[in-house]
Amino acid sequence: MSAVPGLKEDCEELLGAFLQADTVRFERFAELWRERRFHTVFYGKMRALQRNKLTEKTLDLAQQYFLPPYSFQIRVGALYLLYGLYNAQLCQPKQKIRIALKDWPEIQKFHLDLLDSQHYDAAYILRRLRLARAFHFTAMPKLLTYRSKKKIEENNFKEEFRDPCNRVNSLITNDVLEELMNIHDHYQKMKCVISADKSQPDKALSLIKDDFVVNLKDITLEHQEWQQNRGKLLQSVKETDETENKKKEETLLKSEGSERASALARIKYRSYSAAVEVSKSRRHRQVQLESSKPGSSCGKSPSRSKKTSREPQSPRRRGEMQVAKETLTRHIGMPIITEEDS
Amino acid sequence: MAEAAVPDYESAEQYTRAFRVGALGLGWRRQLGPPDLSLAAEEAEDADAAVAAALGCAPGTAAELRAVCSIDMLMPSEKEEDPDVIPEDSSLLTLRIRKKALERREETIIVDRACRQETLTYEMESHATGKRPDNTTDLIEEGELLLTLNIFYPVIFQKHKDHKPYQTVRVLGSQKLTELRDSISCVSDLQIGGEFSSQPDQAPEHISKDHYKSAFFYFEGIFYNDKRYPECRDLSRTIIEWSESHDRGYENLQSVKMEDYVFNDLALKIGFPYLYCHQGDCEHIIIITDIRLIHHDDCLDRNLYPLLVKKHWLCTRKCFVCKMYTARWVTNRDSLAPGDPCFFCDVCFRMLHYDAEGNKLGEFLAYPYVDPGIFN
Repeated sequence: MSAVPGLKEDCEELLGAFLQADTVRFERFAELWRERRFHTVFYGKMRALQRNKLTEKTLDLAQQYFLPPYSFQIRVGALYLLYGLYNAQLCQPKQKIRIALKDWPEIQKFHLDLLDSQHYDAAYILRRLRLARAFHFTAMPKLLTYRSKKKIEENNFKEEFRDPCNRVNSLITNDVLEELMNIHDHYQKMKCVISADKSQPDKALSLIKDDFVVNLKDITLEHQEWQQNRGKLLQSVKETDETENKKKEETLLKSEGSERASALARIKYRSYSAAVEVSKSRRHRQVQLESSKPGSSCGKSPSRSKKTSREPQSPRRRGEMQVAKETLTRHIGMPIITEEDS
Repeated sequence: MAEAAVPDYESAEQYTRAFRVGALGLGWRRQLGPPDLSLAAEEAEDADAAVAAALGCAPGTAAELRAVCSIDMLMPSEKEEDPDVIPEDSSLLTLRIRKKALERREETIIVDRACRQETLTYEMESHATGKRPDNTTDLIEEGELLLTLNIFYPVIFQKHKDHKPYQTVRVLGSQKLTELRDSISCVSDLQIGGEFSSQPDQAPEHISKDHYKSAFFYFEGIFYNDKRYPECRDLSRTIIEWSESHDRGYENLQSVKMEDYVFNDLALKIGFPYLYCHQGDCEHIIIITDIRLIHHDDCLDRNLYPLLVKKHWLCTRKCFVCKMYTARWVTNRDSLAPGDPCFFCDVCFRMLHYDAEGNKLGEFLAYPYVDPGIFN
């Protein structure tokens, strides 16, 4: 299905404005909608067949923003958008919104989140859409016709709309940390029980770093902070000039790294490919490090691998963004690793 | 063969993994409540108390919600606008682009009217919308699955190289495969075999459809053969024997009876090409494009399914002489005709090739011709 020209820009503009407003209230969305007179998006002289197709494509586009990996606020905005588009459409009978079975649990979770956080207006609107039978409950979100794709449509949706990729956080949740803490305590107690001296474990039994759970927590927090900072920096990059950005990067470099690190960063900045290679070579080095220290405590290697494994992931992800932004953003995305032993 | 309960892509954006159709129906019915599955008309405004109970808020909040979240908040309050007119100073990029395109159309097109193909397409898509049967036993039940299939024509014209023409059929999950088989209209079914230059009046009534009743569907390694009539043969036997003769890498091809299965029993991939074969060698590719739950706005009359919603318009070949009527005869090695083969309508054919007494004039071979466009 070829896209409706201009529609993606309009939707993203509206959702962007909603994001800026920093609220999930429907009233605010309605204001933004009315400002833009968004209900006119279906206007234009066309016959019924074309109108049906157009409406179908419009709803399909809006529906994509309603699902993960977009952030909570964008998803609420998409819900309002769907509500508006569904009711503003001119087709008779109305074109429906397709929901695939695989996406339904996400929507259920979303609904529960809304109720838990008492966002009653969003929950009410979702309820109204369901009662109006605005949904087609399907197997897959799009019709699949085995068309060999001549141009692969890259849906470059805005990065800002996405939730920051929380892989680390989803792995090391509060629950996991709590459980680790409990197990750790239990382990310590067990060691005490079997030791000669009941108050503390035998020296021979100290095989792990005692404070590794605390370290893990600190590292996760650090990662989160770094992500938020990167997000903020991305935002400010878009608004300011290029020259200013370069200055920002330099200050960033200087503040974060040692001399060696800044030299590395300069090399990375000069060419994109070099950046990727460096990270790959770092990965190889990382493996060597782990194996070359067999006696090292287990507590150390997970933290190290976690830190350096961050690096190869970000250039790969950044690879999807456009060339113009590439070198800049990828560079910002690359944290300077402060070597622990150097 | 692993059958996932929840369909998902096996090849991204192209086709899904195989799954049992009936399982999808079960999956959805488990997740949804009665109001979602119901085929009744849209519910009117529900009471504040119901809203409050569903959302877990106070009734006063519910009343507030009804006011604040009403659709009127998004629609213009001023007088009725004409949706055909794009406002002058729109802030929407979509509208600006559309306006330019429409203005270009107005300048270049003299008469802007739906051509007959467009009318046909639209009518086919929408003619059955919302239909209800007279007899309530024919009413489709809630939770029924609706499959949309594209059945490709076997006709091979040069102009169809890039986009093969197809017809789109909607079928219910509880319908038998044989019902689909009967609904597929293919021109090869109507062919009349035989050369009739000497006895043009005796073109037989039996068409190929009556002679060769065998057919099969192939879905996911299983051949579903039509065995309703004694004349039906297992066309898939050749294929199964071929695959078993050497280790060709095809596992376990099975052959079963078509009439024993309904669509809910099948394991299918959406978006993946399958096969329908009849007349021994007339093969159609079938792709299932969509499976979803039946909806209030769909046609709910069971008798109308399988429902044809789209078909390709094929231009019919006209008689070479009068250029008006569709060709009904084709001749080969005809000394009276300008070309080989040559097409004639019935009247022109007889006028040219036979004298007043009905004697054959000249040497030629004549065959009854059924044009693929006959289903237009």
